[in-house]
Amino acid sequence: MSVHNSINTGKPITVTIDGKVCKSTFGKTILQIARENDIYIPTMCYLSKVQPIGSCRMCVVNVEGVDGMILSCQEKAVDGAVITTNNSALFHERQNIMKLYDVNHPLECGVCDKSGECDLQNKTMEFDVDTQEFTARDQHRPVENWGHVSYDPALCIMCEKCVRVSTEITGDEALKVKFGGYGSTIINVKQEKNYASLGEAAAVCPVGALVSTAFKYTSNAWELTKIPSACPHCGGGCQMYYEVKRDRIYRVTNEFEFSTLCGAGRFGFDYANEGVSKDPAAFNAAVEAFKNADSVVFAPQISNEEAMILQKLKEKYGFKLVSHEARAYQKFMAAYSTVTGKHLYNGDLKTLSDSQAVIVLGIRINNDSPTVKYHINMASKWQRARVIYMHPMEDSEIQNIVTQFIKYEVGSEEGVAALLAHTLLEGNEDVTKTLREYLDDLDIGNLSAECNVGEEELDALKKSLLKKRGFSLVVGSDLYMHPRAEQIAKLVALLETYAGFNVICVPPAGNAMGVSLICDLDDSAEGKTVGYNVKGDFTLSALGDGDLDMPALNQQEGTLTTVDKRVVPMHVALPYGGYVLNDIANALGIHAKYTIDYTPMLPVAKGFKKTVFDALDEYFDATGTEHRGYLLASQKVPVKRTLDEIEEIEAFDGAVVYRCDPVEQFSPFTAKSTLLKDEPVMLGSTQFAAAAKLQDGDTITFEIDGISFERLFKIDTEMKGTIALNPTFDMGLSASLLSSYRFSRLVFRKTNNENIGNNDE
Amino acid sequence: MGLEQFKNRNVGQQNYVMLDLEHTPETGMGKFRQVVRRTFKAELFVGLWVTMREMINALFKGQMHTVKYPFEKLPISPRYRAIHEMLRLLESGHYRCIGCGLCEKICISNCITMDTRYDENQRKEVSEYTINFGRCIFCGYCAEVCPELAIVHGPRYETASEQRASFSLFEDMLTPIDKLNLQQEYDGFGAVTPNADENIKKTPLAY
Repeated sequence: MSVHNSINTGKPITVTIDGKVCKSTFGKTILQIARENDIYIPTMCYLSKVQPIGSCRMCVVNVEGVDGMILSCQEKAVDGAVITTNNSALFHERQNIMKLYDVNHPLECGVCDKSGECDLQNKTMEFDVDTQEFTARDQHRPVENWGHVSYDPALCIMCEKCVRVSTEITGDEALKVKFGGYGSTIINVKQEKNYASLGEAAAVCPVGALVSTAFKYTSNAWELTKIPSACPHCGGGCQMYYEVKRDRIYRVTNEFEFSTLCGAGRFGFDYANEGVSKDPAAFNAAVEAFKNADSVVFAPQISNEEAMILQKLKEKYGFKLVSHEARAYQKFMAAYSTVTGKHLYNGDLKTLSDSQAVIVLGIRINNDSPTVKYHINMASKWQRARVIYMHPMEDSEIQNIVTQFIKYEVGSEEGVAALLAHTLLEGNEDVTKTLREYLDDLDIGNLSAECNVGEEELDALKKSLLKKRGFSLVVGSDLYMHPRAEQIAKLVALLETYAGFNVICVPPAGNAMGVSLICDLDDSAEGKTVGYNVKGDFTLSALGDGDLDMPALNQQEGTLTTVDKRVVPMHVALPYGGYVLNDIANALGIHAKYTIDYTPMLPVAKGFKKTVFDALDEYFDATGTEHRGYLLASQKVPVKRTLDEIEEIEAFDGAVVYRCDPVEQFSPFTAKSTLLKDEPVMLGSTQFAAAAKLQDGDTITFEIDGISFERLFKIDTEMKGTIALNPTFDMGLSASLLSSYRFSRLVFRKTNNENIGNNDE
Repeated sequence: MGLEQFKNRNVGQQNYVMLDLEHTPETGMGKFRQVVRRTFKAELFVGLWVTMREMINALFKGQMHTVKYPFEKLPISPRYRAIHEMLRLLESGHYRCIGCGLCEKICISNCITMDTRYDENQRKEVSEYTINFGRCIFCGYCAEVCPELAIVHGPRYETASEQRASFSLFEDMLTPIDKLNLQQEYDGFGAVTPNADENIKKTPLAY
């Protein structure tokens, strides 16, 4: 992680730990090498995914020829070092540390939620601390309720893991240490939008100081069955465990040493379709509906296997298969691959977090893809990366990591992509002659004026990339849904091909990436429709409000395709008594015993492997390497680098709304989760309110893509500009019917209550 | 009390006393004499007197020996493991159970089920607690593992009920609050040892 000694980093070294000869590379700490070689060194504050904290001093070791004890978590191993991890002096040192940790620690293990998986408990036992020999005057430390998480300072051992994850990982910097000697505590400096930090903090807390408020005192850790799975909400597919007892999910945990969950993953788990029994009449109606369907419309919140079933049904029955977001992404990636010659983008999250410069284009990253944002934050914190955020709207939530915000006009993404390509490929010698001509022919002055991106801003961007190594580009769904998406894709792809960028095209929703790879999608629906989690003439719904119930994603087995290009398995957390899509497929003549029988049938041509579901791994090894499912193999695609002229940019004047869910809301499923309480309000700045002649508290109705919204308007004083945020997570079965560009002009009608008085409208 | 005296199975060395019983007559005359002697010795009236005396004691002096079960029950050993009881704290009257879940975990017949919650006073509260007495084998592990002596075995040994598996709720087992003064401390397995005070190590206080 550190750039120090970068010259020798990676050089092979040999060290001896407890008599065992260990081969490794320079740059790794003694602790890391020990763990690679299954040698145990006790730690209290060490957390693999952040930089060493060094607050506990439990990891002390002796190195031959060095006086005193060395902190193995911080000290890089040098070639030939002879290290002892345990002897009576070290044991005594560690025992004393544990004795100090135990001073005044409340003896409430009987009720503590952490009991049974508590580091303090384990180490207290390990180091034989059965009496308190030291003493300190205790203080009054009342329990604090921070919303999703409660903090009990009396239990806190001040390891600072929580502060580190909120700074280095989630990046909202919600938690801080309040220094004060023995009276030190953790404080929460961010009262809102802190789900992720708090959830992550509760996960990494080695004792019971930080515990999810909803989970607190409801169950002991050892009573819960851990069901490994992947989070289906945003397309990140983050590793998670559903912790289940008596057919109820009590909480969600994760392999917090190596992976991270956002608030939606951690708190949005109770969206199961419960109490469903088999209704043969509805089932037969569904089978009939499929037989007669002209189109099947579905939301991207489905597994790869279900997508495969729909694709097989399409092949047999010839209906149109429609999923708007996935289709937009599919077209974008198809255009993208004509330039790169590979069917997937080259980027991955690990490389992103190691980048020294990150450009984010066309995505409200903090809302759309938390896991990608976390990796950008890691780059920012560990590599001091330049983060250039390009979007029509500033986002105050990420201003602590963004080093340059470039605002462009709504609708001008194509021009911006062209400007970016022009700037970053200037002087690049790998660029082909025709491409060079194309780039030289661009009317930069005009583009810059139309996009409202100053040439000096681009120069500053270019300058800031000088002397940096490792560039990443993150693009998102503003581009996929853009009318000129394919042209934008090609321009972005140039940066992967010629400028060496690590590009991540963040999937727009749910399993859109998997769907786009598996299904042969059509642009629009026609005739009789069957909707799956979407309103259709016949509706299959996992939300429980359709004509036939379907299991939610935590009630079925299957795989998801993640932003990291990984196929990861999900397991059944809750029982489901009704019919599943595979039953319908069986009734329609496409036979498979279980849905997961389709796992090995996923298209190899798209990078999937013929691995059966039960053979998919789900673990991280001791060094933190991910062994979950498999990585999609990159497939070659014919190259055809033809770029069009940049089209005239359509002006979006006046009040504009941007389809964007609040942080930690992604779909009707997160909306159904009781712990994620977000009001579906339209948020705009005072400037927006003035432009649209709206007041705080007005209710308005408007239509986008034929879907009518009724929204309460609220002014958010932290926002600027004339764009308002319009959430869609509460739209239930209509949410996935939206197919147009994410920005739209706001044409609305005020529908305030009559008694408020007549408005001018 | 040691168990040595029970382990000594050498009968001959114990202090048995031989009763001085007369020999059974063998001749007809001998038998006749025994009958005549017993008849005129008025032993019958001795026996009748004993009956009479006990009747008078029982009826008029309140010394009835008959136990009117089920209205009356004999005291039972504290180590007997009968239907569970939930005890209260004598000082506050609050139930002792802290909801730690150890009884539920240790129960080998899986008959204890509990739910807990975070209550308004920021304490762990037992929101539901049941024991399925159709399954309970009265092994006593729950009482033994309980760190608070909250769940104990009481003396109520009648386990017959109308249903094969009847559930017992927390409230049914809990000492009624108005009978708190009658609550007996439990002496069975898991109870505090008589010399517990000697084993306590005090936390040092420097101030």
